[in-house]
Amino acid sequence: MSKKTPKESFLTISVYLTGYSQVDLLGTGMLDTYYNTFVENLEIENVTTYFKEVDQILDNSGNSEEKINEGITKVLFGSALVSLTTNLITMWYTGNWGQDVISPESYTQGLIWNAAQAHPPGAKQPGYGSWADEPIEIPTI
Amino acid sequence: MEALFQKSNSKRHRLISNKFLQSLNDRNFDLLDFDKLKENLQSAIELEHSTIPPYLCALYSIKEGTNEFAVKTIRSIVVEEMLHMVMAANILNAIGGSPAINTPDFIPEYPTKLPMIDETFMVDLGKFSKESIDIFLQIEKSADHKPHGGDDYHSIGEFYTAIRESLILIDKNTPGGIFTGKPELQVTSEQYYGSGGKLIPVYCLEDALEAIEEIMGQGEGIDNSIYDGDQEMFGEDKEYAHYFKFNEIYHERKYSPTDKSDDEPSGHPINIEWNEVYNMQKNPKMSDYPVGSELYQKTYEFNKTYMALLNNLHDACNGQPDMLLKGVALMYDLKYKALELMKTPYEDDGLMAGPSFEYVN
Amino acid sequence: MNDHEYDVVIVGSGIAGSVLTKTLTQAGKKVLLLEAGLQAGIAFDAEKNFQNYQYYLNTFYKAGAKVPNSPYPNIEDAQSINVLDIEKITPENKPTTNGYLVQEGPLPFASDCLRGPGGTTLHWLGSTPRMLPNDFRMKTEYGVGVDWPITYDELKPYYEMAENEIGISGDVEDQKVPEKVVGDKTIYYNVDRTYGKDYVFPMKKIPQSYLDKVCMNRSKGLKVELNKVVYDIVYSSTPQGRNSIPDPRYKLTGITWDQRAKKLVLHRKDDYEYQPVGSNWDPYTGQRCEGNASCVPICPVQAKYNALKTLRKSDPEYLAIITQAVASRIFYDKGSNDITGIEYKKYKYADSTVFETKVAKGKIYVLAASAIENAKILLASGIANSSDQVGRNLMDHFVMLTWGLLPEKGFPYRGPGSTTNISTFRDGTFRKEHSAWISPIDNWGWAWPTFAPGTDLSNALSEGMFGKKLRAHLNDVITRQLLLHFECEQIPDPNNRVTIDPKYKDQLGNYRPVIQYQSTEYMNKAMEAAKKVSDQIFKAYGVEDFTDYTMKNADAVKYNGKVYNFWGAGHIVGTHRMGSSKEHSVVNPDQRTWDHDNLYLVGCGNMPTIGTSNPTLTMTALSFKAAESILKQLEKNEDHGSTFSKKQFETT
Repeated sequence: MSKKTPKESFLTISVYLTGYSQVDLLGTGMLDTYYNTFVENLEIENVTTYFKEVDQILDNSGNSEEKINEGITKVLFGSALVSLTTNLITMWYTGNWGQDVISPESYTQGLIWNAAQAHPPGAKQPGYGSWADEPIEIPTI
Repeated sequence: MEALFQKSNSKRHRLISNKFLQSLNDRNFDLLDFDKLKENLQSAIELEHSTIPPYLCALYSIKEGTNEFAVKTIRSIVVEEMLHMVMAANILNAIGGSPAINTPDFIPEYPTKLPMIDETFMVDLGKFSKESIDIFLQIEKSADHKPHGGDDYHSIGEFYTAIRESLILIDKNTPGGIFTGKPELQVTSEQYYGSGGKLIPVYCLEDALEAIEEIMGQGEGIDNSIYDGDQEMFGEDKEYAHYFKFNEIYHERKYSPTDKSDDEPSGHPINIEWNEVYNMQKNPKMSDYPVGSELYQKTYEFNKTYMALLNNLHDACNGQPDMLLKGVALMYDLKYKALELMKTPYEDDGLMAGPSFEYVN
Repeated sequence: MNDHEYDVVIVGSGIAGSVLTKTLTQAGKKVLLLEAGLQAGIAFDAEKNFQNYQYYLNTFYKAGAKVPNSPYPNIEDAQSINVLDIEKITPENKPTTNGYLVQEGPLPFASDCLRGPGGTTLHWLGSTPRMLPNDFRMKTEYGVGVDWPITYDELKPYYEMAENEIGISGDVEDQKVPEKVVGDKTIYYNVDRTYGKDYVFPMKKIPQSYLDKVCMNRSKGLKVELNKVVYDIVYSSTPQGRNSIPDPRYKLTGITWDQRAKKLVLHRKDDYEYQPVGSNWDPYTGQRCEGNASCVPICPVQAKYNALKTLRKSDPEYLAIITQAVASRIFYDKGSNDITGIEYKKYKYADSTVFETKVAKGKIYVLAASAIENAKILLASGIANSSDQVGRNLMDHFVMLTWGLLPEKGFPYRGPGSTTNISTFRDGTFRKEHSAWISPIDNWGWAWPTFAPGTDLSNALSEGMFGKKLRAHLNDVITRQLLLHFECEQIPDPNNRVTIDPKYKDQLGNYRPVIQYQSTEYMNKAMEAAKKVSDQIFKAYGVEDFTDYTMKNADAVKYNGKVYNFWGAGHIVGTHRMGSSKEHSVVNPDQRTWDHDNLYLVGCGNMPTIGTSNPTLTMTALSFKAAESILKQLEKNEDHGSTFSKKQFETT
């Protein structure tokens, strides 16, 4: 398990941090952009530290969601890493790095709109009259 | 010869289901057989529907903000296919039939074959590419109204002509006529927008004939001078046939006003970026993925949405025309779900997943 | 350019300027249109038009703060007001000089507009209620403000033209608005009288949102008490300038100049079917509102009306457009007082300090550059101001916002900005004491006052939430957000004004507007009353109130010990008002300046009072009236039998 590339670790931990499945995250088409943004905005040693901690949480949890969440709260929301972690989550949810919108596409792929059962204003429009009804819900298996 | 540019709809494509093939091959089908007429109209609905998934795949695979011309063109063609599907249902309703739009065999299994004897080619669900546009050209060409040689070969135009004649004959020979369907079943023009053409509600023979004209695209041909200065300046393009629209994409060039229908387009170049697409795996299937995997689930959700749309269309064409409005939201949702799939790697080979357009319960 | 080469010179291609340009060129009058914004924004070629608009859209996506002007270029040569520049004004921080406006206060003016092709209609919301008959006689009915020199009935035919031009979706029956309460009975305006029997809008109403229905269902039969009077809470669907399903009963085809009758005629044809006007690059795009939920700042499909749709209908044979041309001064003949030319500065490219100064000449001149800009140009030129009213009576709607969480999901952030309004307090005898207001239900959650949903995310993260819990929390909170507006009318106040000061000029040497702005007892009282009403409505809805007013906000007032905040509505009105006398107004009912026979002003600056309606529809109606007056004047002066040489379309 520890043979993961940093990008794989990034994706896996993002699943636990965002509450979205791997395919949900991949479906935004933003993985490469976000991974690169994350790495480029940090000092190299911080990147290394962060992924070391992430891998440790993932490797020592025996795939228990509960244990991973505990690790996240303790380590990734710990005072040293909390700002990186919240930036990472914010990136998936809004397409922003800090106050800056990463790209036009990142804005339209923000997961916060999905969480709100809405859509990013100005993109992914739901069609004439859709707002008169509750949002569409398609049952999952 | 048909005019290259038409005000209304065009020479049409047809992709033909096996059911439809039968009716074509049954050369002696009785034009006075009322049940057969209803069957043929049901086949017409299925035909009109069957190009929609391939065209949608090509359309959705184009990356956002690129290939403006291709997006606009394919989008308008898809909208017109839907228009024709609903109009075929209107005719069927007008003569007391019941369109069936959500049955398991309504959706063809892709890749699917075209019935043309001499030109066998398979139609895929796949990305926007020169290859797929070439297939679309062949689909559209198959709608050619020209008579063909060989006993087994009939054009789509002839099929609609048969429906047309059958409607006239049976209506004439039936006391009180056959247009006894409930008028409230008709889907009316207010529910249609977004492309050329006109949604014609059918209450009598004349309406039915007008609707068939509209479907067959024998609209008013005009001469070749589409570009006068004002129109160009104010961006008003004339509508013309689907075949020619696809041909412009294929050749990355617009027709010039003097081009004849046999010519390759020779006008302004169009910017087509063949690489600005999601590299969708051809003809994806739910069965490609382990049951319960995330991609299986996503594809299932897509198909579920697609089924909801077909159910919605079914209801709209069976007494609840206002349901069409609600279908709009499903259409958009379908697109966003397809896009999510197209952005998700299929395997580690650079190919992406995609919508499978399969019947699910 | 030769003297009198053009019949009419128009400054500004917003809705007022575009209505005039279209109407006058279609009547065969030669028009020169000066536009301060960039050339690219006016592209008539479909492809260029699309590309430019995509550029706006991407700029919007990329903008950190998605404020009304965020998609559009803000060029140094013709700056737009930007709401991000608003600051609190204090004795130590006065005037504030961020951005384009110089704000002397005491309160900052909080509304913006767009200087560029198409003007503010590019980012307007698109709500188009008509003004109410009593709005035209505020002095007579309620003893405040001024009466208009024209009545509602006189404006009515022009309202019909405006509704045709913009393409309004709406339901006339729903415009049954309360006029007053007598005893325990509410008297309503009769739509058969206000709109005319059988009048319909071009398109059916835009569907009211799910959120609207939640609110309406939770408050059936609700009555609220205010100052011992009991009011019915009445909901009206909001007429709006965005595309919907054509109403088959609408038979009005379009507006032309009837040369013999000397008036504009709105034609009727019995077999007519209204066609929604799609985007400027593709007629099939935008035939219906697609629910982008971003009308402000930008409708991606142009299902929402913008002035360039009107401008495109102009007769190009009679139209010349010069872009990147900023009007700076107007010249007049000291003997006759006739205007002799408009000086403009044509800059080379965006932000360039290189420009050429030129003079545009015509028989008649029209300023259509926005209420603030019109006033500024007049003041800079020292004209049209014998009444001393130029720049005065600046008005807006004070938008007091209240927000809270519904007990059930209302699913905001979907659909047009607002589809329903509470019309209870749009009129009534209370207007003797305090402002009337209109209360739109906002479909976009708390975005305006709190920058939600981004702040909901950051708040949750700061509490250590992540993963599925975070996702569920956001779903719970964002889907229940409710925001109500209380858009309170301002009364004309001579001290709320636009002035100029040689100390403040832009890089082309043109004046920057200097603003003085204050609130009055009449409006503060309205906010107090509106909050009382809001409390009762929230209680009925079962809403938990999260409204938070603070003196830290730029626009904050303290009244009877309580703090109220308000926001700008973007309704900039009143700076060169129309009136019945030369002494008290700048223009006459023909929209012509009292002081100069060949100078017309158009736009919201002409409105003597603001009422509770979003002003665009009314000012568009007035623009048709202006077009008619100009055509009358031109044809009266015309040498009969003379023909014009056709002018080539040019957009250099």
